[in-house]
Amino acid sequence: MKNLKLKSARAAKDLSQDELAKICGVSRQTMSAIEKGDYNPTINLCISICRALDKTLDDLFWEE
Amino acid sequence: MDMGRSMGVAIGVMMGLVICVCVFKAVNTNKKIKTEYDERQLLVRGKGYTIAFYTVIVYEALMMILTMSGIEFPVQDYILHVAGIFVGCTVLGAFCIWNDVYWGLNNDRKKYIWVIMGALALNLMLAAGAILNGSLMEDGKLGMPMLNIMVVIMLFIIMCEMLIKHVMDNNGKSEEE
Repeated sequence: MKNLKLKSARAAKDLSQDELAKICGVSRQTMSAIEKGDYNPTINLCISICRALDKTLDDLFWEE
Repeated sequence: MDMGRSMGVAIGVMMGLVICVCVFKAVNTNKKIKTEYDERQLLVRGKGYTIAFYTVIVYEALMMILTMSGIEFPVQDYILHVAGIFVGCTVLGAFCIWNDVYWGLNNDRKKYIWVIMGALALNLMLAAGAILNGSLMEDGKLGMPMLNIMVVIMLFIIMCEMLIKHVMDNNGKSEEE
């Protein structure tokens, strides 16, 4: 399932996948796979994504 | 192989390792020898290593059965074993490229491609030289220069797959962003 919340939070920060990936220390392809729902990141990576986008884990990764 | 030639090969392998270390330091952006990967890349590469491992096992088992059946190959025995390593490396490389885990986080892709093209050209020249001066055969079987031909084939497959993947990624990039 696509992570649209992550995609929109990234767009709101005006960051490209590549820029966000560099901040989080992963490859652009990994960031793309997370957004597309092809890869479930570890909690450590989730936290670094949240920190980079000033969001909480609930905001980006909790499904209602 | 005689003692002198074995020593020559061993020294050549050691020289190759030293050159590899220097090249890795030069082509990695943070000047480290080891390539760094993120968590997804490590996970997918693990699957790649598993597939490559089983490929080599199947290859060696097949070669053992064929050799025991008395089938003669037109290549020296050591070439058959090295071919297994090349098959495993090609499978791993192809799997990694296809799953976007070939390039590490600290790799300078342009420099790496130049290194691959240089290795391809060098091995191609050595193979062509061996064919032209007739040293391709050893005791009526394909010998040492066959290694150069196998390297050329492996690098050619890897370069072709990189090109195909690059074209595919460029087509899909606009949709992702």
